[in-house]
Amino acid sequence: MRLSDVMGQAGLAGYAEIALILFVLAFLGICWAIFRPGAKPAQDAAARLPFEDDPTGQPEEETRS
Amino acid sequence: MNAQLDSFKYDDAIVRKFLVATFVWGLVGMLVGLIAATQLVLPSLNVVPWLSFGRLRPLHTNAVIFAFAGNAIFTGVYYSSQRLLKTRMFSDALSAAHFWGWQLIIVAAAITLPLGFTQSKEYAELEWPIDIMIAVVWVIFAVNFFMTIARRRERHLYVAIWFYIASIITVAILHIFNNLSLPAGPFKSYSMYAGVQDAFMQWWYGHNAVAFFLTTPFLGLMYYFMPKAANRPVFSYRLSIMHFWTLVFMYIWAGPHHLHYTALPEWASTLGMIFSVMLWMPSWGGGVNGLLTLRGAWNKVAEDPILKFFVVAVTAYMMSTFEGPMLSVKSVNALAHYTDWIIAHVHTGALGWNGFLTFGMVYWLLPRLYQTKLYSNKLAEVHFWIATFGMILYATAIYSAGVQQGLMWRAFDETGRLQYPDFIETTMKLMPMYWMRVAGGTLYLAGMVIFGWNILKTWQSRPAKYEEPVIQAAPLERKPGESGKNVFAGFSVAGHRRWEALPILFTVWTTVAVIVASLFEIIPTFLIQTNIPTIASVRPYTPLELAGRDIYQREGCFNCHSQMIRPFRYETERFGEYSKPGEFVYDHPFLWGSRRTGPDLAREGGKYNNLWHVNHMKDPRAVTPNSIMPAYPELLTQKLDFNTIQKHVDAMAMLGVPYGELIKDGAAIEAARTQAAEVAADIESTDPNLTGLADKEITALVAYLQRLGVDIKKANEVAAARLPAGGQ
Ligand code: HEC
Repeated sequence: MRLSDVMGQAGLAGYAEIALILFVLAFLGICWAIFRPGAKPAQDAAARLPFEDDPTGQPEEETRS
Repeated sequence: MNAQLDSFKYDDAIVRKFLVATFVWGLVGMLVGLIAATQLVLPSLNVVPWLSFGRLRPLHTNAVIFAFAGNAIFTGVYYSSQRLLKTRMFSDALSAAHFWGWQLIIVAAAITLPLGFTQSKEYAELEWPIDIMIAVVWVIFAVNFFMTIARRRERHLYVAIWFYIASIITVAILHIFNNLSLPAGPFKSYSMYAGVQDAFMQWWYGHNAVAFFLTTPFLGLMYYFMPKAANRPVFSYRLSIMHFWTLVFMYIWAGPHHLHYTALPEWASTLGMIFSVMLWMPSWGGGVNGLLTLRGAWNKVAEDPILKFFVVAVTAYMMSTFEGPMLSVKSVNALAHYTDWIIAHVHTGALGWNGFLTFGMVYWLLPRLYQTKLYSNKLAEVHFWIATFGMILYATAIYSAGVQQGLMWRAFDETGRLQYPDFIETTMKLMPMYWMRVAGGTLYLAGMVIFGWNILKTWQSRPAKYEEPVIQAAPLERKPGESGKNVFAGFSVAGHRRWEALPILFTVWTTVAVIVASLFEIIPTFLIQTNIPTIASVRPYTPLELAGRDIYQREGCFNCHSQMIRPFRYETERFGEYSKPGEFVYDHPFLWGSRRTGPDLAREGGKYNNLWHVNHMKDPRAVTPNSIMPAYPELLTQKLDFNTIQKHVDAMAMLGVPYGELIKDGAAIEAARTQAAEVAADIESTDPNLTGLADKEITALVAYLQRLGVDIKKANEVAAARLPAGGQ
């Protein structure tokens, strides 16, 4: 018996659909986490991280949104 | 300020090493590409076997992807990660092992590919010992990188780091699963998968290698170096996070071209397509985000070559990511597949996105790494314009070549016959555009030379000793209740942190996302295997034909010839009955090819007599005037290695190919000799000038070519006579 037969008979197709639904849900969760109102200050701070290695080279502008 | 600050230094020496390697391999890889492009207009340039087009093309693709782009990624990752994580790389020894290991792999590739050692799967050509080296070096890199994250002094991971993590994990998964093969010699192996399944694995790999080697790491670089160069933070950090998650979640799922063939329910297929259309949005969102990072700095773009490089890079990214999903639409794909359109698409991405982003990044790094001024801003400016112009020439030429040839292949005249029945006629029409490509490539390469000069001169004015500034940063505080290793904090409730501050959890999730999405794509291909209608008359290759197939792989014939006739009338008119999945069940690996520089060979068997093939291989232009196929006269003199045939047949048998009695010691060699004598006798009887071919490689190759696609025509004749009946 070959691997492909084992896989073929395992009836895994249904799980792929479940996985797809979970993915969509997880993705919606992430969207919420990103755009929820409280997240903004932390994101602004994070956007400035690349400039922290060099105290003299502070950015000229702030993150917009 | 915290009383106990840690003091440490960044390791920039390793960044300098990767930077130089980026340039050197870039130059080599592009030069090889230019040679290959010139061979397509001047086939006489295929001077020696190891420099013929079929062997050079994989060298070119591997060199620019893994050597040039690879080293560019490492340059940027080592520079930015240390700074974003506020720590030196975890281990200098691992960094060095990573650097030298990677260069060793490249050298091994540069030696083995011209020698004809290849798995013949695009961008995964390297044979198994090198594949193992790649896996080892990649693990070294991963350990070094993740331990650096563990030792970081900045809790939040900047979005660039996320892109790096996803890339490292995914590339490892892709590499391992696509390269699963059974070694049949020190530099020879057969893919575990066959035919349709192998094709699915390969393009699951190919599609995602573009995503996770040429896209996500470079996006990480973009999100770090563009803000630095423009001196303003990324336009929208939210958008960059969205960009990340949509790519990780969608890239692998997208590509309905991977889903079309599967036995998926309708709604899932539709959802997959929606995903793929949605992929446009983050890519464009990400691109716009990059461009808007230059807000208020557009006046600087006029003076600053670095920003110019970045602007073109991001524009090219947006163009490629628009075109990609478009190419996966079935009707567009029908026209574009097998043509130069795909080559043009790839080069927009490679020259524009990867190339220009690398150039911009390196110009920005040069003064910082060599602690001096850039030698010449003017030359950088010249580099920019010459490369831009070269790229435009290349793209214009090759897009039109692709569309034109695609249209010619499908053109019927008013009597309903193919308008261009001679394949070579469609090739000849492309020659002016191929010359234009050579010109464009030359310009781009000239830009590289200027680039190299600028690097060299900048390096020369470096200080006698590099300054190594001492950096101070506070160690990460541990909140009460948190376990000792803060990276594990995510798992304890007491040490709960924002989700993005949990690298391990984050890595686990990314991995799960990638694996689940991949399984979703791969499982149906395994299901297909059991659904493939077995065609009783399809039998394994005879030992001699298998040896011929090995030569076909070695010479890289699949770089110019497809073996997959699509079910369109203009294809079946030209090449014969369309290909059935069941015909490939013994093809370890599949050899469908992706570009038809020459005609499809899926039904080549029986089309000409044996002598025709011998003459054609010896000198294609003597048989088909104006052919651009390389000549292979050496095949008529090189001895066929009968001794390895047994090992190869045994390996195939282990993979499930029903070879029956032939796996008995020496049986396969015997069978091969007998068939070779027959084939040679036939050739020599038609042309008495040819003698002594029975033990030459050409005989095996001709036997293979004559076998292609005949099984479903002549039920049970050709092969079954030589092989025990039954099987499987
Ligand atoms: C640079 C691309 C290129 C490479 C590499 C190449 N070919 Fe070709 N081949 C062509 C072109 C173009 C033609 C059509 C013109 C002609 O008949 O020569 C062709 C034609 C053929 C034909 C005749 C097809 C027909 O039905 O008329 C065969 C057979 C063939 N090639 C076999 C091979 C084999 C075997 C190899 C490897 C050893 C190989 N080719 C490598 C470009 C290539």
